[in-house]
Amino acid sequence: MSEKGGLKSLENGVLAKDLCVACGACASLCPYLRSTDGRIVKLHDCDLTEGRCFDYCPRTEVDVAKLHQAVFGRDRRDLDIGSTRRVVGARAIDLELRNRGQTGGVVSTLVSLALEEGSVQAAILTERRADLLPRGRIVRDSREVVTLAGSGYVAGPTLEALNGGSFENEDRIAVVGLPCQITALAKMRVSALDRRTPIDQVVLTIGLFCTWALSYGPFVDFLRKRVGRAEVGKMDITPPPERLLLVTTDSETSRIPLDEIRPFVRSGCDVCLDMTAELADLSVGTVEGRCGWNTVIVRTRAGEEILSRAEAVGAIETESLAEDYLGHLREASRLKKYRALKALEGKGYTDGGYLRLPNRLKRRIMSCGDEGP
Amino acid sequence: MLQNKDPINVIITGVGGQGNLFASQILGQMLLQKGYLITIGETLGLSQRGGSVMSHVRASKRETLPPLIPEGLCDLVLALEPIEGLRILGSYGHPDVLTITNTRPIMPMDVLAGQAEYPELEVVLEKMNELSRRVWTVDATDLALKMGDPILANVIMLGALGGLKILPYDVRTFETAIREFFPDDRLTTNLEAFNQGRTSVKAI
Amino acid sequence: MSIITEGRSGQKVLLMGNEAIARGAIEGGVKVCAAYPGNPSSEIIGTLAKIGPELDIYVEWSANEKVALEVAAAASFAGIRGLAAMKQNGLNVASDFLFNLNLTGSIGGLVVVVCDDPGAISSTNEEDTRAYAKIGDLPLLEPSTVQEAKSMIPFAFELSEELGLPCLVRSVTRISHARGSVELDDPVPLSRRPHFNTGRPLVNVPALAFHRKLRAKLHRCRDIFETSEFNEYLGPEQPEALIVASGTPGAYAQETLNLLKAEDRVGIIKLGTTWPLPESFLVRQLRRADVILVAEDVDTFLETNLKALCAQKGRELGIKRFLGRGSGTLPDVGEITPDCLTTAVAEILKISYEARPPEYARTAQEAVSRYAPTRQVGFCAGCPHRAAYWCVKTALALDGRDGFLVGDIGCYSLGFGPSGFEQMKTLHSMGSGAGIAGGMGQLARFGFDQPVMTVCGDSTFYHAALPALFNAIYNQANFLMLILDNSATAMTGFQPHPGTGQNAMGRQAPVVDIEAVCRTLGARIEVADPYDLQGTIEAVNRLLVDEKGVKVLILRQLCALVRANRGEKLYQVRVDQERCLGDGCGCNRLCTRVFRCPGLIWDKEKGRAGIDDAICTGCGVCGEICPQSAILTEEI
Repeated sequence: MSEKGGLKSLENGVLAKDLCVACGACASLCPYLRSTDGRIVKLHDCDLTEGRCFDYCPRTEVDVAKLHQAVFGRDRRDLDIGSTRRVVGARAIDLELRNRGQTGGVVSTLVSLALEEGSVQAAILTERRADLLPRGRIVRDSREVVTLAGSGYVAGPTLEALNGGSFENEDRIAVVGLPCQITALAKMRVSALDRRTPIDQVVLTIGLFCTWALSYGPFVDFLRKRVGRAEVGKMDITPPPERLLLVTTDSETSRIPLDEIRPFVRSGCDVCLDMTAELADLSVGTVEGRCGWNTVIVRTRAGEEILSRAEAVGAIETESLAEDYLGHLREASRLKKYRALKALEGKGYTDGGYLRLPNRLKRRIMSCGDEGP
Repeated sequence: MLQNKDPINVIITGVGGQGNLFASQILGQMLLQKGYLITIGETLGLSQRGGSVMSHVRASKRETLPPLIPEGLCDLVLALEPIEGLRILGSYGHPDVLTITNTRPIMPMDVLAGQAEYPELEVVLEKMNELSRRVWTVDATDLALKMGDPILANVIMLGALGGLKILPYDVRTFETAIREFFPDDRLTTNLEAFNQGRTSVKAI
Repeated sequence: MSIITEGRSGQKVLLMGNEAIARGAIEGGVKVCAAYPGNPSSEIIGTLAKIGPELDIYVEWSANEKVALEVAAAASFAGIRGLAAMKQNGLNVASDFLFNLNLTGSIGGLVVVVCDDPGAISSTNEEDTRAYAKIGDLPLLEPSTVQEAKSMIPFAFELSEELGLPCLVRSVTRISHARGSVELDDPVPLSRRPHFNTGRPLVNVPALAFHRKLRAKLHRCRDIFETSEFNEYLGPEQPEALIVASGTPGAYAQETLNLLKAEDRVGIIKLGTTWPLPESFLVRQLRRADVILVAEDVDTFLETNLKALCAQKGRELGIKRFLGRGSGTLPDVGEITPDCLTTAVAEILKISYEARPPEYARTAQEAVSRYAPTRQVGFCAGCPHRAAYWCVKTALALDGRDGFLVGDIGCYSLGFGPSGFEQMKTLHSMGSGAGIAGGMGQLARFGFDQPVMTVCGDSTFYHAALPALFNAIYNQANFLMLILDNSATAMTGFQPHPGTGQNAMGRQAPVVDIEAVCRTLGARIEVADPYDLQGTIEAVNRLLVDEKGVKVLILRQLCALVRANRGEKLYQVRVDQERCLGDGCGCNRLCTRVFRCPGLIWDKEKGRAGIDDAICTGCGVCGEICPQSAILTEEI
């Protein structure tokens, strides 16, 4: 039995508890919730006891096994990073894509290809304008994709664009999102409520590795104090032991120690189990120590097909991932899970809070207990 | 029925905007013509904007009465809206009271908002019957709408009351009274409304 | 031409209490009348304004009650008769002037009519004006019927001239808003040319000398009141108990005794002149019995002062037992009704009285609580205030800093309730919103970080918000003021005000432009149309973020009642029930459940929204809020 709820439950269980990650899954569904400045705001009381806002939220009940079944049609095997078909290193052949993108340019390349070849007609991407506020954006022209590349490390309501966008019935849609957003998409798929969102037209989901995201308002206030009004270009995080946020503006690159921005991490991210977007068709992230390359986890046939086609047309090159890189990845992913459960405990959720975990997975997570830093 | 009673105590009730006060003024004017001393107590408050409104019309040939009818002394309730009539019976009714009610409900805001229920008309009438000596109904708003203006419901109600000959006035009294308020061109419509009420009142 | 101007002596007419007061003013030879509208007093000047030009009486709606009293006093200073009218709260505003005016005294007859609102039927408080008479050593009359309301006014003018003091007349809602048979008198023939005697300055310095003089006037007043026909004793020579009553309870008392068949057991001392008390008259009457029930509206003014009198005259009067609001025999708040008076007297006389069979009463009350849902008051269909509060609510939620709005008195006061989405968080006196916002706007220095908004109507702006606005600008407070300019004093019946281009007597008048005033003061100013929800929300959010100084957003849209009365409609509105989601997720009846305009109806059977054409005024705002664009608006 899955938990049912409406806006009131969402408000009490998620918004009031500061667990919202501003993924946008509840926005543009109704006039009661609106996203603004990276926040989800309740405008009026809704008295329905069952609503899509509650049903789609990645911070209301997440039944890991059930969602896994729904997306992959089979049980979860790999307890650390979810179902995989293969894990490879990859990068774009096109240098421009590689440079504009966060690391290897794989995401931009795959989305461009899907649009070009017509396997999808629209892609939901995240746009970051001069105000640094992430917004969902519907892209139909492959040439636009590259202009949206790059991370702002700020959480934003990307899925609002899916809910509120206008699509033709025959449109097939790709969505690029953070793990929370990919989880929300999976919840949309399994929701028993009347659809009225184009989730059934989403044929490709590309997840982005994520360890946390920042709250827009406080972070931007901080950033403006550090770098002034100048337009912010690329943002990057350097690998350990340095751990700096590099913020590039027209005039300079500011080097901000990560500890200074930690306070702006959304508290909803503290309880997140998912680093590698385990419910996506294909997850893309960075390989530490392998500069200019992405790590790609291929999870589904749809994911496999687009990557293979990209290789076949010479848009992407792949290499096998060294064992120790894979080990690091698993460890990092497991550690995020461990921290999330600890954080939930810290907030008083001794029963796992919003998470429904198979016992096997729970044991596996807790086993890394004392190894954690 | 009340022709020879002194004093006569009538409560006219309805919703702000229905012309409740106008009805009480006309009734007052008509009884004034018949040699009564009149007092009308009006309770409007902030309720011009869709709230409950009531007027106490008191007539006596002997003395000028104070503006509120004491509990138990109301002779007749003239309700421009059904549940407003019931509300008045709640505080001013007694086993001998007579009730005349319009049949068209006006939904309170909470009902429109789905937070309260408006009872079936039959239930309201049944309760009124239980709480009154006699009850009459008039489809005053429906008739008024047919005449082209819902505001005429108040005059139709006065016509109904006139038709029942409960109070000492007739259409000529009404005509004299209404002349105080309206130019000649509005007279015909009002007289027609009065007559509509006179002929369409039904006992239940 | 009306009965009020034409009526002749001896004629019996049906008048509203406030019309009777207006007729009394005419009979008393009034020349200058001024007021600020406020229920239940508004119809006094409203009536006079209509007939002023015809009778050569100057009538004005003043910017506030203090100014109104000053205008009426000026006439008095020039030797002619003046009248100021106001509600109880208005006298608070006028009191600063009143408590200097009492010292200099007046010359031509000056009458101040104050309409109290026992039970706070159309007010935010129930205040007892009579205390002012005592504080200010001023004569006070209290009519208990519509007839007396008329008759006391010419007497008040005479008294005022006799004493050289303004005379207070305290009406109440049950008189001002009642109608009664009134026997008319002819107006006094007065033809005076106003002239100010420069040889007799009205300056109350040294104050003590003037205070001494005032006391002497009050003593003379007491002597006059001793024989006033407005005070009477009705009842047996030796009753078991006495009712002392003023105002409407004075009128209820006789009917109460009739009902209880206790006319031979209880006497009534009905007082019409209640300050200073006619002591000798009272001592004579109070000797009749030792049990005294005092019936009066709002405070224990008579009760307390009678107790003092009885203590003073203890040797003559012996020990009395006082019952009333003070003793709990009558309810200590709310108006005195015939019913509570009857209960009290029955209890005192140990009479068992049932107004109706208890079984009936139970059934009747049950029927009401079960079948008669209450009617909440709210904004009218199409009211621009509803749209404005919708924008306030949305903008504050989007702003997300726990901002809030403070307000004051006008139609927009209803913003505290569901039709204003409960947005108004403080509600006190006229203009207090701007003052409170100014104070809140200073608190940032102590760590206060909530955005503050205030709201004010156009009429209230002129009345009392202006000084608060100056103050905030001068002291560099930080807040956003919304001026809901609907071009009307809508709450009290559409009286003109300085912004309407029309004066009380219907003549053209210069427009005191709110926008120009605010701009001159140095406020940052924007104007928006509250019917344009998106534009207004954006304007509010923009101005809220700006943390510097006083910002004014004028939300300009004509009062929906005014538009409807003109027969104008902006849009024909209908619901496409195919598109309407009704109660489904994605709507949950936003229009009928949350927005709640009376023009919107819920078609229960179909589970869809609809428009009540008889009520809809065609503002088109619901078309903007419908998430499905199912409410179609077609320009007319």
